[in-house]
Amino acid sequence: MPGRILRVPALQKLAAAWPWWLLLIALGGVRLSKGAGFSDAYALLSRPFWPGSAQSEWLRSAQRTDNQARLVQLERDNQRLRGLLALDNAAEGMVAAPVIARESAGWWHQLELGKGSAAGIGVGDGVLAPGGLIGRVASVTPSTARVALLTDGASRLGVWVPRVQRHGLLVGLGTARPRLQFIEKDTGVRPGDLITTSPASTLLPPNLTVGVVQSVNDQLVPAPDAVVQLSAPVDAIDWVQVVTR
Amino acid sequence: MGVLHRQRWCGATGLAVPLLTLASPALLKLGGVPPSWAVLWLLPWALVDGPASGAIAGLALGLVLDGLHLGAASEVPALALLGWWWGRLGRRGVPIERSFSLGLLALLGTALLGASLLLQQHGLGALPLPLVGLHTLVAQSLITALLAPVLCSLLLLRWRRVADLRG
Repeated sequence: MPGRILRVPALQKLAAAWPWWLLLIALGGVRLSKGAGFSDAYALLSRPFWPGSAQSEWLRSAQRTDNQARLVQLERDNQRLRGLLALDNAAEGMVAAPVIARESAGWWHQLELGKGSAAGIGVGDGVLAPGGLIGRVASVTPSTARVALLTDGASRLGVWVPRVQRHGLLVGLGTARPRLQFIEKDTGVRPGDLITTSPASTLLPPNLTVGVVQSVNDQLVPAPDAVVQLSAPVDAIDWVQVVTR
Repeated sequence: MGVLHRQRWCGATGLAVPLLTLASPALLKLGGVPPSWAVLWLLPWALVDGPASGAIAGLALGLVLDGLHLGAASEVPALALLGWWWGRLGRRGVPIERSFSLGLLALLGTALLGASLLLQQHGLGALPLPLVGLHTLVAQSLITALLAPVLCSLLLLRWRRVADLRG
């Protein structure tokens, strides 16, 4: 009996066109799945032409340029506002000096710089390197200056944790990582927090990067302390900037 | 007193000690710690020239090196004591010139120097002593003892010949 209905001529034509029906059903499937097959096929074919690492490199360099420009702008703005507040009464200058001798492990942690009081460097000036503050000038001669690094066992520096707005004392231990001592009990400092010089500092330039908190010992009595990783790599530095006052 | 200190050029080699301390060549370091150049120069000098000259040379070297370093810790007492001790060792018995003896004397001397610095920097009361100080002490003693047979024996033989010729 099934053969009988196919003898109607119109239905015979429809049955003969079965591949077209299949195509139509397939297209319906594509429609219902929101074009899934096509998207996948397109992705597969176009993969060699996708935006690669070069493009992200361009974007990053554009972002760097933007950041740099904003940094310069904000620094100038900050300088102006500090001038208005009369925090900055002395004119600060930067002197670039070469590192001529280095002792960054052992009994002393110190650098010898190739410029001294003749270039305007004085005792107590902050010493900057790419990456942040590394120490302070301990003594000068007319043509050299000796820098006590922050890691030296005798180094003590008041610092600031901007995220929790706390002061701390950065104590050198003679190791690569100095210790940060707090005065209060509940500091809320976490590993990863940035350490800077105090924003109200007049001895050192304010808001200089010093390092990052690596671990915190909350159990210590009477106040917690933290281990700090300095951000400037002292062993790799050949030139430094001395902030003269 | 020996005759070595009357030879101007032999004494002038002592100038290499502060210069080498400042330059601190990166190849001759152990764990980032440089050898004690003062010990390497003072050992042959005291062995050849006797206790009084050794103590004075130690005092002079200590004063120069203290000026080159930060802080109040001083190398003068340890170096003067070492110069006097090594000078006495050189005067009695068979002359010391074997590599092992030189290395051992340098090791003991550097350890003594390091211990005096450690006690001065961390205070006599700070027990247990900090690990980093012990690390520096051990590393400096080892690298100095390893260099001593090479450098000290050269200086020792040279100065002994000068002393024999003049004396």
